[in-house]
Amino acid sequence: MLPTFAASLSALLIGLAVIFTATDQGHAFTTEALRRGEVARQPQPIPDFALQDGAGASSALRQLLADDQKVWIVDFVYTRCQTICTSLGSVYQQLQQQIQQRGLQGKVGLLSVSFDPVNDDAQALRDYAARMRLDPQVWRIVTLAKVQDRRRLLDAFGIMVVPAPLGEFEHNAALHVVTHDGRLVSIIDYQAQALALDTALAWSR
Amino acid sequence: MIHPLKSAMLGAGRASGAAALLVCALALALSLPPLRVLIEQSMLWHMAIQMPLLVLGGALAMRALAGHRQAQRLARWNRYGLSGFIAAQAIFAYWMLPLAIDRAIVLPLADLQKLVSLLACGALLQHSFARSPAALQLFFIGYAVPMMIWLGFYFINTDLRLCNAYSLASQVRTGRALVAWGLALGALWLWAALRPTRSQ
Repeated sequence: MLPTFAASLSALLIGLAVIFTATDQGHAFTTEALRRGEVARQPQPIPDFALQDGAGASSALRQLLADDQKVWIVDFVYTRCQTICTSLGSVYQQLQQQIQQRGLQGKVGLLSVSFDPVNDDAQALRDYAARMRLDPQVWRIVTLAKVQDRRRLLDAFGIMVVPAPLGEFEHNAALHVVTHDGRLVSIIDYQAQALALDTALAWSR
Repeated sequence: MIHPLKSAMLGAGRASGAAALLVCALALALSLPPLRVLIEQSMLWHMAIQMPLLVLGGALAMRALAGHRQAQRLARWNRYGLSGFIAAQAIFAYWMLPLAIDRAIVLPLADLQKLVSLLACGALLQHSFARSPAALQLFFIGYAVPMMIWLGFYFINTDLRLCNAYSLASQVRTGRALVAWGLALGALWLWAALRPTRSQ
C-alpha cells in the first residue's frame, strides 16, 4: 500500500508543480499570454536592425526609436496582407487620428515594421503609406534592410509567422510598446488600442 | 515440451512487441526529418496523430512486457493502477496546453520531453488499466474524454489562434479530430468494460 501511496502523491505533486511552473502560475495557457506576462514583468531590450523606408533610405532601428525621444507603438505587417493586417491597419489609422487630435505627436509614435522584405520594397511601402493615409509625422513604415535579419527580428519580439493559403501569412498580431531607449515594455491586444496609447503615454516623459 | 497455450502466448507477445516497435518508430520518426515537416506545419499531425501514436506505442510496449519481471515489480507501486492514472493524467493535461505544443515545435529539448513523457503516459495507462477496477478506470476516462471533446469544440469555435505555431484552419481541423478521438476512446472503453470477460 505504502509504495502506491507515495508514488501517487509524488505523481500528483510533480504534475501540479510542472503545470504550475509552465503556465506562469496558472496565468498563461498560450505562448502569447506567456510572452506578454514576461515582457510586463521584465522589459526586454531590443537588438538593433538595419531598416529601409519607403524613400529607400536606410536607418537603424535603435536610432529611429531614439530620434525624437518618443515612445513607440510597434506592429508587424506585410503589405500584401488581406486579413489581420487590415484590422491592424485600421487600428493604426484610429491611433494616428487620436494622436493628431490630442496633439501627442511629440510623445507617441507609430511604427509598422514589415517582416517580408523580399516582397515589400520601397514602392510597396509607399503604396501602403498612401493606402493608409499615413501621416509621416506620426506613423512610419519600414522594412528590414537585410533579408537574413528576419528570423532575429521576429524572435526578438516573439512573433511567429506561419504560411497560410493564397501566399498569405498568419502571425500573432499585437501592439508592442517600445521606449526610446529600445526596450519592449508591454505587449497589448491590437483591439485594445486605447490601452496601448495610455501605456505609451505612461512610459513617455 | 512447451505447453500449447504458453507457446501461443509467446507468439502473441512477439506480435504485440513488433506492433509496439512499429508504432513507436513511426511516432518518433514524426519528430525527425524528413517527417518532422508534417508536425511543424499541421497541428492535426502533431496533436491528433503523433501524440496519440506515442501513447499507443507506450501502451503496446508495456503490453508486450506485461509478463516481464520488471513490469511485475512495478505493480507494487501501482496498486489498483492509481499512481499510473494520476501520472498519466498530469502528462495528458500538460500536453493539452497550447504553450506546451508550441514549445515542442520550437525547442528540441521540449520535443524530446514530449516523446519520453507521452510514451511513459501510454505505458503507465496500460499498466494501470490491467490492474484497476472499472470504477477507477471510469475516473480517468470520465476526465480525459470530456476534456478532449470540450477542448475540441473550443478549437473549432474560437476565433483565437491558441498556438502561435499553427494557423487557425489547422486548429479547427485538430478540434474536429480531438472530438472524434474523445468519442472513439469513450466508446472503446465502454465496450471493453461491458464485455463479460475481459482478457487482460
